[in-house]
Formats: sequence, C-alpha cells, structure tokens
Amino acid sequence: MKRKVVIMLSCLLTLFLLLAACGGNNAGQESGNDTGAETDRSGQSPASEEVVTLKFVGWEVSPLESESVKKGLEMFMEQNPNIRVEYTTLPSGTQYVAKMQAMFLGGEEPDVFFLQSDYYRDFVKRGYLLNLDEYIANDFSTDDLIDSAILLSTVDGSFYGIESCIVAPVLFYNKSIFDKAGLPYPPSDPNEAWTWEEFVDVAKKLTIKNGDKVEQYGAYGLEDYYQTIALIMSNGGNWFNEDYTASAVNTPEVREVLQAIYDLRVVEGASPETKLLQNAGMSASQMLQTGKIAMLAAGSWSLQELANMDFEVGVGVLPKFKEAVTHGQAHLHVASKNTKHPDEAWKLIKFLSSEDYQLQNVRAGLWLPNRKSLYSEEGIQKWMTDSVYPEGFEQLIPYLLNSKVYPYAMLPSQKIQEETTAQLDAFFYGTLDLDTALANIERSVNRLLAEMQ
Amino acid sequence: MNGFKRLLHKDGAWAFVMLLPNLLGFLIFVVFPVFATFAISFVEWDLADHLEFVGLGNYERLFSDEVFAKVFWNTVYFTAVTVPVGIVLSLFLAILLDQKLRFVRFYRAAFFIPVISSMVSVAIIWQWIYNPEYGLLNYVLSWFGIKGPAWLTSTRWAMIAVMITAVWKNLGFNMLIFLAGLQSIPESYYEAAEIDGVKWFAKFRHITVPLLSPTTFFVTVMAVINSFQSFDIVYLMTQGGPARSTSVLVYYIFQNAFQFFDMGYASAIAYILFFVVLFLTMLQFMRQRKTAIY
Repeated sequence: MKRKVVIMLSCLLTLFLLLAACGGNNAGQESGNDTGAETDRSGQSPASEEVVTLKFVGWEVSPLESESVKKGLEMFMEQNPNIRVEYTTLPSGTQYVAKMQAMFLGGEEPDVFFLQSDYYRDFVKRGYLLNLDEYIANDFSTDDLIDSAILLSTVDGSFYGIESCIVAPVLFYNKSIFDKAGLPYPPSDPNEAWTWEEFVDVAKKLTIKNGDKVEQYGAYGLEDYYQTIALIMSNGGNWFNEDYTASAVNTPEVREVLQAIYDLRVVEGASPETKLLQNAGMSASQMLQTGKIAMLAAGSWSLQELANMDFEVGVGVLPKFKEAVTHGQAHLHVASKNTKHPDEAWKLIKFLSSEDYQLQNVRAGLWLPNRKSLYSEEGIQKWMTDSVYPEGFEQLIPYLLNSKVYPYAMLPSQKIQEETTAQLDAFFYGTLDLDTALANIERSVNRLLAEMQ
Repeated sequence: MNGFKRLLHKDGAWAFVMLLPNLLGFLIFVVFPVFATFAISFVEWDLADHLEFVGLGNYERLFSDEVFAKVFWNTVYFTAVTVPVGIVLSLFLAILLDQKLRFVRFYRAAFFIPVISSMVSVAIIWQWIYNPEYGLLNYVLSWFGIKGPAWLTSTRWAMIAVMITAVWKNLGFNMLIFLAGLQSIPESYYEAAEIDGVKWFAKFRHITVPLLSPTTFFVTVMAVINSFQSFDIVYLMTQGGPARSTSVLVYYIFQNAFQFFDMGYASAIAYILFFVVLFLTMLQFMRQRKTAIY
C-alpha cells in the first residue's frame, strides 16, 4: 500500500515540477537581464551595470538581408556595451504578421521589430506600439527625412515608428539580351521614360518562341499589385480618393492600365503568368538572370540579389502612361508598447534610423535612402558604388525622390488588399470581366472604409 | 490517511491519477479552447484592446457575406468529390494489394509513403508537377496533343488540381484501413461461394461490400471530417487563390483570425463548421444503425 502512495506522490511531484519549470522559464525570459557572463564578455562595462537584452525580430527576404542586419547590430552592440540584441527572423508576408500577432497575444512580443507599412496603421490603432514622440522631440532630428517618410511614419501627428528607408518598383533588365537583339536599353531618366506602347513593342520583340514553346518572355512582374499600383499612378489614377475615404478604382484611368497589363500577357503573349514561375521555385531574379525574361518590374530591393548574380543587370524607370511615376514606402522599425526597456528600445530604433546603418544597407543595394542629405551630390558619393549600382543609376534619383505615397500604407488595409487581389485574380486568371471586377472592388472597399470610420 | 486509502481502493481513482497529466493537457488545450471559442463567437475582438459584446451579430454577418458563401460551397465541393473518389480508389487499391502478388509489400509501402510525407514537401512537388510550362503533367498531356491548362493559377482548374493532390495524399491511409478490413473477412465465405460457382463481381457485391461495411463506415466518417477541416494543402499550394477559387472554411477562419484580426467572426465560422461536421457525422451514424452489422 505504501508503495502505491509513493508512486502516486512522485507522479504528482513530477507534474508540479513540469509546470513549475514552464513558469520559471518564462520568468527568466521576461526579465531579460543577463548579468555575469555577458558583462564579462564585453569586458568594458563595469560589473555593476546591468546588461539589457532586447528581443529584435525581422524577416529575411534574402540571406544577404540578414547578413546586413547582423553586421549593423554588431556595430550597435559595440557602441552600447550594456545592450545585447537577440535578432531572430520570421517568414515574411502575411505569415509574419500572423506570428507577430500570436506573440503579442502570448505576451512574448519582441521589444523592437520590423513592421510592414501596410500593417503599421492597424497596429497603431490597436495600441500595440510604443509612442516615440518624446524620444524624437529630444533625441532625433526628422528634418533630414524626405516628406513621404514623415507622412508614412506619423499617425495623427505622432510617431510610433520610423520608416527604415524607401523601396520603389523599378524596371530591371538583362543587358545581354538587349545587346543580342540590338535594342536600346530601357531609359533610367524619367524624362525619357518609354510610353506604354513603346514598352509593349520592345517586349514583343524580345519574346522568342521555339515552336509552341516560349523560350524567352519580354517582360514580367506587372500583374503584381505592388507594381500595378505604380502604373495606375502613372496614369493619374489611384486606389483611393485623396483623403482615403472612398475607393477610386472604378475610373477610366484604372481600367485602362489593368486592361493594358492583361493584354500584354493574353493578347500579345509577351509576359508569362505572374505567380506561376515563382510557384515553381524559381525566383523572378533567377528568371532574369537565366534569360527566361528580358525585363522585370520589381521592388528596388531586388538589386542587392541581382547585383550579386553573375550577369549584367540594368535598372530603368517603369513605362509611363501619362507621367513617369513610382511609389515609395518601406517597413518601419517599431517598439512594443509593453517593452520592459523602452529607453534601450529607442536607442536601437534610433540606431536603425541612423545614417550609418542606412548607408550600409543602401550600399548593398537593398535599400534606397529616405534622407535628403544622402540624395545631395555629396551624399550620393557615399553609397553609389559601381559594384552594385549599374551605370546610369544616378538618373533615377529624381524618380525616387518624387515617389508618391504608397496608398496601402495610409490606412489599415488588409481586408481591402485581400478583396482587391481576389477580384483582380478573377479578372487576370479567371473569366470575370474587368467592369464587374472593378464594380465589385469599389462596392466592397467602400463598405470596408465605412466600417472603419 | 484512512480516507485517502479508501479513495485509492475505489475503482477508477487510481486510473484517474495516472491519466491526470494527459487529462490536464486535454482540458487546457482542447476543452478550454472549445468553450472559449464559443464565448468569443459572441463578441467583436481584434485580439487587442477592442472587445465588444455583439450577441448573434457575428452569426448574422455570415448570411450577408458573399465570401463565406463562396468558401462554404468550395468546402462542400471539395468534400463531395474527394471523399467518394478517394474511397473508391483506395478500396480498389486495397483489393489489388490483397492479392498474392510479387513485391506486394513494396507496393503497399509505396502507396503509403504520401501519407507519411510532410505536406510541405508534397505541396512543393505538386506545384512543380502542375507548372504549366515545365511541369510533368502538362508534358505528359502534350504527348497526346493536349495543351494542359495553367493548373494552379486558373480559376477553373485550381480546385481540381488541389483535389487531385488531396486524394493522392490520403489514398494510402484509407487503403491500409481497407486492407485490414479485407483481411479480417474469413476466407471460408469466398470458398463457399466458389463451390456454388459465384462470379467474381457477385462475390464482391454480396460478400466483400457487406462484410466491409464497418470499415467503410469508419473510413467515410473520418474522410468527411478531415476533408471539411482541410487547411494545410490549400495554404501551401494556392493560398486560397486564384480569386478564392480554392479557399475553404478553415482557411477563411485563419484569414479572419490572423490576417484581419477579427477573432469573433473567425470563432463564429469555426462553430458553423463544428455544427456542419457534427450534423454530417450524426447522419452517418444514424444511417449505419439502420443497416445490418455482420
């Protein structure tokens, strides 16, 4: 009998120990303070000063991106020996936000993290982010930031994060394909931008068929909403009206652009289906490198990857409808409202928004500056390296400086994006006619906007 | 101490203690969420500060939500095709592999491999197979002069493509259950039938099918439940696209919860799903009770 009791008690004990272990672990992580070993390692800080560990979360679009971030963090930790930064990456896109959401719910949110601009206003609205106004007023000059960076980073006049840089849709091309075909390169000077007709003409010439099979397509990437919006803006259209209170999608400007993009693939046969090849494990950059496509409309950050590939890449402006225009935005660096170390978190955000850190990523071709000083004659010298930036890139600068505000960054827009993409997919890949698709988008977007008020 | 001793002597008390760790897990990770979801389905909650009681509001919204209607019918369509096709095919396979073939063990293992493969790798391989320009499927079709469609990016074919993969993935599991069922049918029935000169199909119709009915019942119930709960295959292969043509109920629940931060609405859909599955399962149980069990 006694034995039974002993077994039972030991069972219970094991259970309690297990539970206690879980709890204890959490407590350890939350306090986030590491004295002893860490202090010894840095060897500089006095033993009395506590080392603070910041959890920092971002995503990885390419391994090169993480390398850049880690290099920067080492610089930061050298400057601030009492702060240790633990950097982890999550998958990007909607998965990132879903995971971040779960971390907030579980009270495991990081101190500092990347946040996509199109989720920024939503996170602010839900009170997840630390208000940075006081820090910025005392410890940061926003004078040097370009206008769109300030517009994007502020919500009702308050800062909850700082836009990291800008990235913008541009037109990449494989130089050797143009050389072989004896065609001029796409222009980088916005004043000389190709009209849509000229662009289609070149794309058709660069589409090479072998029997039924297309071996090389002229252009790719315009059916992706990120690039689509830029073309719509170039036609004087936009997704929303000026104060983001109503959909502006059911207009001739939008209709003309969407029809033109559709025709490029379906009627002219000069573009492969978007999503298709990427589904098959080949990145758009690899398609450009291997000559599957001659021109690629994509985000400027691709330059980092493309410049590291073994082929000659060029960068030009997107074709224009009425005027040569692109849009700019980028992820923000933000801190959680409930961070235990707001001062240290601010230090990290300040560092991530510094010229030094920005320059490092700009030099690699991952980012473009959002500081006015880096676009001056002298400033450009600091980053435009020959090994990364193709010839003629400086001509693109006015195009980037005048980039318009990315509409999805200006309002909580997940449902709007989802609905818009679903309708446009039905038009691009299904049988829905454009007028119905646009009417559907207009109706549901207006309803969603009304709900938000 | 006496009372404690008596407690241990009582039937079941000891078992209860031993089951406690498991039971605790069940309570925390299953029972609690089930009730919590029910409660959340009556509020509007954005996973942060905003929490508001809306009564049946979330359920009312379902009726005017075109996306929900589309997603619901997609799920029904998915189930109505994959379950019968999957069962017929796996039964056919099971009968084939119940014969005395050479390498029969190898074949059984081969057909079971998709079941134990990770859904992620299955999805990636099938995305390649379905690739319209370099994919295996369209290449094979081209031998017969057929120009295959862009499987995963056409609103017309994407669902069919996903269903083919789903059937292929689950075939082995159902086959294994059927195989076990087939082997539990006593050989003597078939011998008796043979002596009476019964033809192959009649044997199948009058011996195999009725004696296999408990197995068929189990397989059907599980397949219907699993198919209503499909998520990973859609999430990995198409993300519900294009134009929501492959979006299913659980995927829509996920989107509402973690993309649109609309926890109350997501919970309401989850409960609708629960009642639909419950209803279908009860229906099958009732049908089963009416038919004879051998």
